[in-house]
Amino acid sequence: AFSCSKSFLERNPQAELTYPQIESKDGVEGLLVGAYALLNGNINGDWGNYASAPSQWLLGEVAADNAHKGSNNGDQPNMNLIEQHKPTSTNDNLQVLWNRSYEGIVRCNNTLRILAQLQAGSGEKFDDERAIQIQGEARFLRAHYYFMLKRIFVNVPYVDETVAAEDASAVPNDADVNPKIEEDLQFAVDNLTDKFNNEAGRADKITAKAYLGKFLLYQERYDEALPLLKDVIASRPDITSLPFTDNFDVTKENGPESIFSVQHTINPDGTGDNGNVGDMLNFFYGTAPISCCGFFQPSFDLVNSYRVTDDGLPMLDGTYQDNPYLSDFKLSGDDKSDYKVDKNLAIDPRLDYTVGRRGVPFRDWGIMPGDGWIRDPGFAGPFVAMKHTIESSQFATNTVAGTQQITGLNVNIIRLADVYLMAAECQTELGNLADALQLINAIRERAANLSPKEVDGTPVAAYKVKPYPSFPNVDYARKAVRFERRLELALEGHRFYDLVRWHVAKDVLENYSKFEGKYLSISKNLSFQDKNTYYPIPQDEIDRSGGALKQNDGY
Amino acid sequence: HTAEAQGALKRTISITKTRMTLKSFLENLENQSHAKFIYSPSILKSHRTVEVGVLTSDLEHVLNEVLVPMDIDYKVEGEKILLIQNRQDTKIGGKIIDAVTKQPLPGVSVLIKGSSNGILTNEEGQFTFSAKVNDVLVISYVGYVGQEIKVTSSRQVYNISLEPTTSDLDEVVVTGYSSQRKKDLTGAVAVVDIGQMKSQPAASAVEAMQGKAPGVQIITDGAPASTPQIRIRGYSTINNNDPLYVIDGVPYEGKLSWLNQADIESMQVLKDASAASIYGSRANNGVVIITTKQGTTGKPAITFDAYYGTQDPRNGSFPKMMNPTQYAENLLLSFHGEDPGSSFTKLYGSGATPVLPEYLLAGSKVGLEVTDADANPSLYNYTRDNSTFYQITKANQTGTNWFDEITENAPLQSYQLAANGGSDNATYAVSAAYFGQNGTIKHTGFDRFNFRSNTQISAFNNRFRFGENAQYSYSENYGFGSNVNTPGTYQDEGSALGFAYRIPTIIPVYDIMGNFAGSKGGALGNAQNPLAMLYRAKDNKNKSNFFFGNIFGEVDVVDGLTARTSFGIRYENYNGISLTYPNLEFSEGSNANGDSENQGYNTEWTWTNTLNYKKNFNDEHNLNVLIGTEAIRNRSRQLVGSRNGYFILGNLDYYYLDAGTSNITNSSTGSVGSLFSIFGKADYSYKDRYLLSATVRRDGSSNFGSAHQYGVFPAGSVAWRLSQEEFMKNTEWLTDLKIRAGYGITGNQRIPAFQYLDRLQSSIGSSSYPIADGKGLVTGVRQNAFKNEVVKWEEVRSLNIGLDFTVLNGKFDGSFDWYNKKTSDMLYPVPLPSVAVGGGSSPYVNVGDMENKGVELTLGYHYGREDDRPFKFDVGVNISRNVNKVIELAPGVTQQIYGNFRSLSTTVLKAGDPFGSFYGYKVAGIYQSEEDLANSATYTDARVGGLKYVDIDGNGSIGPEDRTVIGNPHPDFIYSLSLNASYKNFDLALFFNGSQGNDLYEATRYFTDFTTFDGALSTRLLDAWSPTNTSSTIPSLYRGASDFEYASSSYYVQDGSFFRLKNFQIGYTLPAEHLFGKAISRMRVYLGATNLFTVTDYTGLDPEVSQEDSTFPVLGVDRGIYPVSRQFIIGLNVGF
Repeated sequence: AFSCSKSFLERNPQAELTYPQIESKDGVEGLLVGAYALLNGNINGDWGNYASAPSQWLLGEVAADNAHKGSNNGDQPNMNLIEQHKPTSTNDNLQVLWNRSYEGIVRCNNTLRILAQLQAGSGEKFDDERAIQIQGEARFLRAHYYFMLKRIFVNVPYVDETVAAEDASAVPNDADVNPKIEEDLQFAVDNLTDKFNNEAGRADKITAKAYLGKFLLYQERYDEALPLLKDVIASRPDITSLPFTDNFDVTKENGPESIFSVQHTINPDGTGDNGNVGDMLNFFYGTAPISCCGFFQPSFDLVNSYRVTDDGLPMLDGTYQDNPYLSDFKLSGDDKSDYKVDKNLAIDPRLDYTVGRRGVPFRDWGIMPGDGWIRDPGFAGPFVAMKHTIESSQFATNTVAGTQQITGLNVNIIRLADVYLMAAECQTELGNLADALQLINAIRERAANLSPKEVDGTPVAAYKVKPYPSFPNVDYARKAVRFERRLELALEGHRFYDLVRWHVAKDVLENYSKFEGKYLSISKNLSFQDKNTYYPIPQDEIDRSGGALKQNDGY
Repeated sequence: HTAEAQGALKRTISITKTRMTLKSFLENLENQSHAKFIYSPSILKSHRTVEVGVLTSDLEHVLNEVLVPMDIDYKVEGEKILLIQNRQDTKIGGKIIDAVTKQPLPGVSVLIKGSSNGILTNEEGQFTFSAKVNDVLVISYVGYVGQEIKVTSSRQVYNISLEPTTSDLDEVVVTGYSSQRKKDLTGAVAVVDIGQMKSQPAASAVEAMQGKAPGVQIITDGAPASTPQIRIRGYSTINNNDPLYVIDGVPYEGKLSWLNQADIESMQVLKDASAASIYGSRANNGVVIITTKQGTTGKPAITFDAYYGTQDPRNGSFPKMMNPTQYAENLLLSFHGEDPGSSFTKLYGSGATPVLPEYLLAGSKVGLEVTDADANPSLYNYTRDNSTFYQITKANQTGTNWFDEITENAPLQSYQLAANGGSDNATYAVSAAYFGQNGTIKHTGFDRFNFRSNTQISAFNNRFRFGENAQYSYSENYGFGSNVNTPGTYQDEGSALGFAYRIPTIIPVYDIMGNFAGSKGGALGNAQNPLAMLYRAKDNKNKSNFFFGNIFGEVDVVDGLTARTSFGIRYENYNGISLTYPNLEFSEGSNANGDSENQGYNTEWTWTNTLNYKKNFNDEHNLNVLIGTEAIRNRSRQLVGSRNGYFILGNLDYYYLDAGTSNITNSSTGSVGSLFSIFGKADYSYKDRYLLSATVRRDGSSNFGSAHQYGVFPAGSVAWRLSQEEFMKNTEWLTDLKIRAGYGITGNQRIPAFQYLDRLQSSIGSSSYPIADGKGLVTGVRQNAFKNEVVKWEEVRSLNIGLDFTVLNGKFDGSFDWYNKKTSDMLYPVPLPSVAVGGGSSPYVNVGDMENKGVELTLGYHYGREDDRPFKFDVGVNISRNVNKVIELAPGVTQQIYGNFRSLSTTVLKAGDPFGSFYGYKVAGIYQSEEDLANSATYTDARVGGLKYVDIDGNGSIGPEDRTVIGNPHPDFIYSLSLNASYKNFDLALFFNGSQGNDLYEATRYFTDFTTFDGALSTRLLDAWSPTNTSSTIPSLYRGASDFEYASSSYYVQDGSFFRLKNFQIGYTLPAEHLFGKAISRMRVYLGATNLFTVTDYTGLDPEVSQEDSTFPVLGVDRGIYPVSRQFIIGLNVGF
């Protein structure tokens, strides 16, 4: 060592790669898979990815009128502030969504950049067909991640594959990213064909059309959205032939109703980072077969919205809030212990496939016992959510042993019923009420096929769901389509964003507070301002940007 | 002899004059004794004088007293007395022994002052030698107080006892790659008194250093074998602040729990850059130089040291929790009249006054719901199947004291057998030891076996020397959270201690059948039974085989020039097993059971080559030049595997991975690194008065890319020994006085490797996706780390000015240092916005400055040492003050909040404030009324009875921008006082230490003072604010409290000052020769006690709170620390 060769100080990273090692076809395909891998909102590990959950249960549902955060008051207090529309810029949930979304974007950009380098180089490269398909997939994913950001934060910085990491910090958030999202989605629509290798998790032309249709609907560009959505509908069997329950059945994933769903699985080693970690807090408390933390409890308002008129139609006028059904809430003594579910309650059967309530069989878990599955009923009510759960017969193969609240159940980002309802909305806004009626009634007809939940051989409710005979006017049709969206897609992460894009969030949520606040103090006296239609930019991100990022108005 | 002269010798002489010439003295004697003196006039010289003092004695005695010391012999010749000046060589001899152990000391240098004539003692400690009367023998030996003895004509045998040095100036200390006399040090070097250190029982030598070196702050905790936190002159960086250890010349970074304290010969702390910069890029946090015991020439000296004791967990200091009645009443009040909900009423009823239930749980029934039928023991079924699990638990209505339940008095023991000896050509020191410490927290503990062998062999007339220093240590940690490799998990909110704060007192330890009870049921929160956690972890074990040592060879090339090469190696092989059991009694329990195992190794080799040239010119110029190279390379690798789903539980013979059936995981990780350095050092002194030292080191590190692979770290220092100057020569009271000044640069490269590269990851967890069908995984790639190609060395520039003094011949000594350390180009992982790096890691960049300024004072008083009185008494005082300030962070970054625990963010990194400052709202009081609320700044959902905060930004409302610095975890000063006394065979040692002016953050209040979770509540709240108790500063309990109320605020911040009797020891050395003949040369027994008392106002468990790691080190945040125990030991030292 008196004279040491320079190489003595040159060491290689351990168990890591450097860029020259992935500048290959396999490397680019690997980067693309990595870009898909963030769809579950999780980088690695499992706890903590709640706001970035593909189900959007927190920002899409708890923030709306469908659900409460659940658990108890002291648990995840920052989520209380989201439920109550009092977010501050230091709310960790906002940081999680922001960070995970940009992680996805970085992965898409790296894919595109290395692809371009490879194709421009002299070594082995992709044929043009696959090369453009990779671009299409990566740009589709990038559009998705930006869309997640745009809905929540509105003003976000845009970087693509041409911006180096060291320059990205300085990009301001003063330009509208919608044109960029649209460009990427349009590119995907134009260039994607079938799923590469027929792999179910990939984006294809239909996925891209559905997403672009949804995007255009958010812009209220109904005439542009409609043909895309129609194409999607035409590509699939009639929805009345597809069981509603298949969407939430771990054995029926990627069926015909699935348009774009996040793939979840239990790792071969039994760990859960690729499972549905975003919903893990949402398993129940106490004596439930899978016991966890007791988050995400459906609201009284949601449950009552499934009550139907004698005609088997929803109570579009809001009268469902009159004499509400409260399960065993606030009962005590013998009233509590002897409580029996009211089998005469007239409801849409989708309620019992969306919400768990006392006295009603819950999947194959047995009859839901009420408070025994709930952490603090006085805080968040007597109900539990169902769509993110799986059959107990599937626990062995589709949960993480020891952390069974992580399941392998996929989460739908866009499913066919959503496309029907989006198309119905376009038709309504474009004045084609007959077409809208047909689409909505297809959804309701399918709902009527749901088998009744029974105890001792008799149904636990007076299940009833009927098609609308007609839409007398646009207003009525609009009410119907919006109400149907709530019923069909409840707890799937759409509600808050729908309320905002319909410009009704203030009215609906303040009305909700008046109703729900009668029972639960967390919902009392909520006020909703314009600024609550979006969220503050995470303070850490502003601090780290060296002044490039500006806080949103009102925060 | 004639009768006359003989008679004259008996004649009484009286002398009244004290000082006279020899001539008149002799005349005086002749007159009084009537004897006649015959002598050569040369005896008188010209002005030879005698000093006698008032004396009345016979002549013989007077002659013996006065003339013999002047080497004047007398002979009676008839009536005359012949006086002869004695100048012949006389044969002298003697034996030199250790004054304490009475062991002979071989190899002691015996030299005639001012000449090169000398000899070393042989292996029996004996010497024979020719000397002239009046010659002065200089006896010196490293580690002992030297002596000077005048040869007299009347004495041929010189049996000398040498006292081991305590703070002697001639002590030689090892600094960087060489050694110096302590008196010649020009930098700030603290020499730790090993003697004092050894009197204290401790697993780690670092722990025993507490308070013994000025400027060194040590924070201990009570976990078995934990290495305490050591900070030399404060925090120099936001990164790792641990010092570099150099053990027998081999650098070492890491924990020291493998090292046996009793093997340490000497320990020095290099504090400033001028002392430490020879270690260049690893010296920013200071360097601790440890030398282990070396062999000495002589017959084997065998020692046996043992102690055994008990540790008491100091239960009294655990915060008091409400009893179940108080708890239920206060919990009900906390609902403020709202419906407390069914989980509360099930347990405590719905009346105005809560009733305590008889049972907490029976099957699925809770509290008051439980009927006699439910509680029928025949229904009881304790199983791992959640669906049939049926537990029956009675309420503990009087309340469980959980801290008492999880702690116990625990034994502590240590034994060491050592031998040391050698011949002229070879020496050896070997030792074997066992140390065992059970934790005061139940079911935890540590065992260690040590073996050490140091040998040195010389050849070719001592021109060539080679040898080895080798240490092997086997250690085992067992129980919850204990792992010497990754300490710390034993003290946070998820630990057994953390849960002792959180679990309601109404929960009993066991259910009706003696299995563990828990929080299952309603309103009992989500704390775990801490004793159950400890019990279930009792078989968790981490074992380590640790080898550390070096082989070396050195040759004297020409006179004064020595070449040395040393190859050191660290090889550590460790493995661990950790078991999981179902915990269905826990409200968030699971039936998971499993086994996780790990195996791994760390290796590092260090090859050091030096050339050292020492020369003395004309007795005036001393020069010592050293140049060298050093190459270091390290590698580590770890394998981890785990499985769940074991057929039977609790059988250690069955727990192999193969027997597990689910959650099959495995992983391996590793690291590599290398360093290459060249360095040089020159020390020069002129007449011992002017001392100069210069060092430079150039380091190359694999941590940096080609842009900044190398760094250069120079330093220089000067000292002026005033006491050697002519004008100070007559100041006899001043034994030594030296002024020092030094300036230098040190570096830090201790960051994760490969920051200069973009790195990607392909893993199941982070980049895979079940893309094909939602089932099998396809592995992808992601970029997990982003590069900074120009990352480089962090630097500390430090200036040190010091003063060392010794007065009254060593009776008083002390030193004083002033320093200013400035850290620049601080390595800082400035978090980049997500838009740039997503969730990947941001690279370290060189930004930010930090400053530490301080003073240190050491004073010592030594009574009875220099004149070897039977009563000896030493007092030592250390006081150090360090003021830390973050000067600047990254451009555009004014502050960074960190220390995120639950919803608390405890700490801030902020320019202008000390590192690790506590951050949050400043409490202004309690909102007293609705009017107060209306007229004060408020936060969302503020309420009467809740905490009121200061509106820092004055905008009329309280929000995150009103947070400010609310406390400083750094002490104003730390201090220690040591008292050592010995009288004849008794010895006594008292050691106190303290910290003044530091704040602590009692984060456990998050659980015990608010209803964040259902759990134990502090009795503090019995005095909470209420409309009738408006002067209270404790907020009223409110179930629906806004999260602002329990956000980080000054409510959590406490004064953490303390003063502690750290160690007390009394010993007695038996007159061993009377007991066992010659078989035992020394035997001492002692009694010791540590942490006998602590004076503090801190309301938490223990005021010593070590840092936790979050983004940056989090200082002084108490989330449930492992308290130091009170230890009582009895010990024995035997020498053979």
